[in-house]
Amino acid sequence: MPPGVGLGRRVAGLPVGPAGTDALRRLTIAAAYGLPMVFILAPLAGFLVYSFFWVDHTEMHYDISLLNYERFFAEETFPRVFRQTCVLCLEVSFLTILFAYPVAYFLAGLTGRKKYILVMMLLVPLLMSYIIKIYAIRSILGGNGFLNRALLAAGLIDEPLTIFVFNLNTVLLTLTVLLIPFAVLPIFLSLERIPRNLLEASGDLGASNWQTFARVILPLSLPGVIAASTFVFVLAIGDFLTPQMVGGQSGFTFGRIIYSQFGAAFNWPFGAALSVILAIVVIVAIAIGARFGSKRGIAP
Amino acid sequence: MATDRILLELRAVSKSFGQTPVLEAIDLAVRDGEFITILGPSGSGKTTILRMIGGFTEPTRGVILLDGRDITAVPINKRPFNTVFQDYALFPHMNVADNVGYGLKVRGVAGAEVRSRVGQALELVQLGQLAQRYPAQLSGGQRQRVALARAIICQPRLILLDEPLAALDVELRRQMQSFLKDIQREIKTTFLFVTHDQEEAIAMADRICVMNFGRIQQLGSPHEVYYRPRTEFVARFFGDNNLIEGRLAATEGRYRRIETALGPLVCAIEGQPDVADAPAGRRAFAVFRPEAIALQAACDSDANRILGTVAAVSFGGASTVAAVDVPSDGGVHQVRVKMPSQVDGARIGVGDRITLNWRADACRLVLA
Amino acid sequence: MKRSKLATAALVFITGLVFVLLYGPIFVPIVSSFFTVKQGQIDWSAANFDAYVQLTNNEGILEAVKNTMIVGFSAVICSLVLGTLIAFYYDSGRSKARSFLQFIVFLPFLMPPIITGLSLLIFFREIDFARSMVTIVIGHTVFVLALVYRTILVRLQSLSRSLAEASYDLGASGWQTFRYILLPNLSSAMIGAAVLAFALSFDETMITILVTGTQNTLPIRLWAMMRLGFTPDINALVAIILGLTTVLCLVAARHLMPKEPVQREA
Repeated sequence: MPPGVGLGRRVAGLPVGPAGTDALRRLTIAAAYGLPMVFILAPLAGFLVYSFFWVDHTEMHYDISLLNYERFFAEETFPRVFRQTCVLCLEVSFLTILFAYPVAYFLAGLTGRKKYILVMMLLVPLLMSYIIKIYAIRSILGGNGFLNRALLAAGLIDEPLTIFVFNLNTVLLTLTVLLIPFAVLPIFLSLERIPRNLLEASGDLGASNWQTFARVILPLSLPGVIAASTFVFVLAIGDFLTPQMVGGQSGFTFGRIIYSQFGAAFNWPFGAALSVILAIVVIVAIAIGARFGSKRGIAP
Repeated sequence: MATDRILLELRAVSKSFGQTPVLEAIDLAVRDGEFITILGPSGSGKTTILRMIGGFTEPTRGVILLDGRDITAVPINKRPFNTVFQDYALFPHMNVADNVGYGLKVRGVAGAEVRSRVGQALELVQLGQLAQRYPAQLSGGQRQRVALARAIICQPRLILLDEPLAALDVELRRQMQSFLKDIQREIKTTFLFVTHDQEEAIAMADRICVMNFGRIQQLGSPHEVYYRPRTEFVARFFGDNNLIEGRLAATEGRYRRIETALGPLVCAIEGQPDVADAPAGRRAFAVFRPEAIALQAACDSDANRILGTVAAVSFGGASTVAAVDVPSDGGVHQVRVKMPSQVDGARIGVGDRITLNWRADACRLVLA
Repeated sequence: MKRSKLATAALVFITGLVFVLLYGPIFVPIVSSFFTVKQGQIDWSAANFDAYVQLTNNEGILEAVKNTMIVGFSAVICSLVLGTLIAFYYDSGRSKARSFLQFIVFLPFLMPPIITGLSLLIFFREIDFARSMVTIVIGHTVFVLALVYRTILVRLQSLSRSLAEASYDLGASGWQTFRYILLPNLSSAMIGAAVLAFALSFDETMITILVTGTQNTLPIRLWAMMRLGFTPDINALVAIILGLTTVLCLVAARHLMPKEPVQREA
C-alpha cells in the first residue's frame, strides 16, 4: 500500500515539506518526534524513575530503592484506602451504567431531530465549570440543601439527613451524577450501530419485544457498555478534586492521598510511587475494557 | 498521426515493492504523437508503469529517458507530463475553472491569460458553460472531461490516463472513447492510456502494449494483437479465440504444420521467428478466430477443415455464436464459430453435422 | 414492533430523572445569578442583574478569566501546529516508530490528569523550570494534543491520496500543494478541533492546579474560593461561561460534521 498524502513521502526525489527543502523536512520531523518525547515521554519516564527515589525526613535521596512500594504494602492505611477507592469507582461505574443504559436506549429509539437535540442537551452539563458543578451538588446534598428541604417539606423525614454530607457516600453520588453523560455516550453509539434490520428480523421470527431486547439488542450493545464502564472507572479513579471537595474527613480516596504527598505530606517520590500503582490499575482497566469491548461487535 | 520519433523510453525497468516483484525487465518506447494503450488484467503492472512514468514511484532498476535524457530522478512536478487519474482527483474545494487553471496558476501565469486559456480548454472538452460549478455538482462524465481539460491545458509532452473510463457506464464509455480519440487527434499530444478493457484498447489505440505478470506480452497495432497473437496469454486475453493444443511439425515456407487432437492444421508463422525456429514436437497452440471460420463444404485447398456437430447456438445481437463439438483423440473439443445474425433465424441448428473451414492465413501459432 | 406503553413510560421517567440530576446542579447557580441571596436564602421577589454588574467590578476574577483565555489560545495554537505536524508525519508512511509516536501522543488524554500533572510537576522541578503560565500552557497542550491530532488525522486520511499527487502532477511545489490543496480541505477539521480544545482547556482543573505557579487562571481561582464560599457574581460568571461554551461547541460540531456531497447522476 503506497503511503499517504503527507510530508515525508519518498517519491523520486520529490520536494516534500512546506518549503520543500530537505533541511526543513528534517526539522519538522524532529519537532514531530521531539516535542512529544520531551514533554510527554520524558516526564512520564522520569516520574516512574522518581518513584524509586526516597525521602528521609526532608532530605531527597536520588538512589533507587523499593522503599516507597514497600511502604505502600506495609502500612495498613494505604492498601485499605486503595481497595476502598477501587470498590468505590466500581460502584460509580455500576450506578452510572444503571442510569445511563435506559437513557441511551430511549434516545436511540427516537427518530428525527429530537434525538440529536436531546443528546446534545445531555452533553451540555459537561460544559459547566467543574468546580462550580461539584459545589452545587454539595450544597444540594448538604444539611441545608435542596434535597433535605424537599424531603422535609414532603414530610418524609423529620430532621435533615446527614448521611450524604462529607463522606464516601457523597463522593459516590457526586461522581455518579458527574459521570452519567460519559456513560451514556458509548452505550448510545453502540445501540445506534445495531442495524435496524436485525431487530426487524427478530420480530419477523416471532420474538417478543423483551426477547429481542434480551437476545439481540443487549448482547450487541455490550461493547458499548464495557467501553462506558471502563471510561467511567478511569475518570472516577483519577479524580482527586471531587473527593477533596465533598469527601470531608471520612471520605478519603486514593487520589487524595496522592495529592497530599505533594502538599502537606511533602513526599514527592512516595506520591509518585502511589501514582504508579494508580496508573497500573488504570492500564489494567483499559486493557480489560479493550479486550472485552471488541470481542463481540458489529462488523463494520 | 504518430511519428517514428521516440519520445519516451523505458529501458530495462523493473519494480519491486519490498520483496514483491511487480515489473520485470520492461523495455518500452513510446512514439511522439501516438495513442498507446497499456492493456492488462489487474495485477499485471500496467498502472505501475504509468505511475513510474509520471514520477509517482521510482523504478527499482532501469532508466526512463525523455528525448534521450535520463529523467528517472526528476520529481513529479518537474516532469512535462500530466495525468488523468482514475478517480479524476478534482480538487473538491475549487470550481471547474479553478481546477482547470490550477496548473497555470502554480506556474505563475498571469490571471488574464489563465482565464482565456481555461476558457479554451473548456471549449475543447465542451464544458464551457459549467466553469463555475463545483465537482460535487457534476456527473461522472463531466468530471472526467474536467480532469482531461486540466491535464491538457499545460501543454504537456505526454498525457497519462489511468483507467479514466472505468467508472462510467457502457454507453457513456463508448462516447468518451471516440471523444478522447478525437481530442488526441486534434491536439496531437502523445497519450498513454491504461485499461483492462480489451475492446476499449482496440477501439482507441494506435499501438497496444499487452501486459501480464509484470512483463510485456506483446506490443503492436490493434490489428496485430488481435489477429496475430504472439503468446498464449494474448491469444486468450482477446476474447473467444479458439486454441487447439498440439505439437509442432514441419515448416513449409511461411507456414508450419501442427499435429493436434483434431487432426493436422496449417498455420501462418509470419513475423514469429521464435515459432519458426522451435524444434519439432514442441507443444504449441493453433489459434484462430471464431469469425474466421466458414461453414461451406467446398473451400480452398490450403484451408484447414474439420467436421463437427453443433452443440448449441446462441443469439448475441449482431452476431450469432455456435458451439461445435469436434471429435478429438481425447474426447470432444468445442470450437466456437461466430457468424453474422440472420433476421429469419440461424442457418444451422443444434445437432447439425457441419464442416468448419478456415484459411491457413487466419490460423496462427503460439508456443505453450 | 411498537414498544409497550409501560416500557415507554418507564424509559421516559428514568430519562427525565437523569436530566433532572444533570441539570439540577446547573440551574442552582444560574437561577441564583438573577436573584439576590440574603443569608443563604434566595429572595424570589425581584429578578435583577446585580450579580452580573458585580462581576464586572471583580478585578480578581476578570484577571483570572483573562489568564484562562490566554492559556486557552496558546494551548490551542501549540496543539494545532504540533497536531498537524504529527498527523502529516503519521500519514506519510507506516512504521513502528509512527505507531509509538501516536501512542505517546494519546497517553496524556488516556491517563488520569493527576498523573500527567504530577509527571510534569516533577519534570519541571528537576530541570529547574519555574512554574508559570508557560507550564500551564505546556500542560494543557499536552492534554488536548491527542484530540486535535486525531481530528486532523482522520480528516487527512479521508482526503483522496490522488489530490496531492494531482497537485504535484500539475507542477505545484510541496508548499503550494499544502497551501492550495491540503490546508483548505483540512481547515474545517482544524477549526472544529481548535474550538473543542479551547473548551477543554478552559475548564481544565486538575492538571492546572498541579503545574501552576503563582498565576491565577479561573479554575485555580475558583478552587481557592471554595473554602471561603462563593460570591454571587460567580453565579453570573458561570452562567455566562456555560452559555458561551455551549455556543462554541455547536460551532465546533458544525465544522466537524462530514460534508454532504451533492450528487447528480447524468
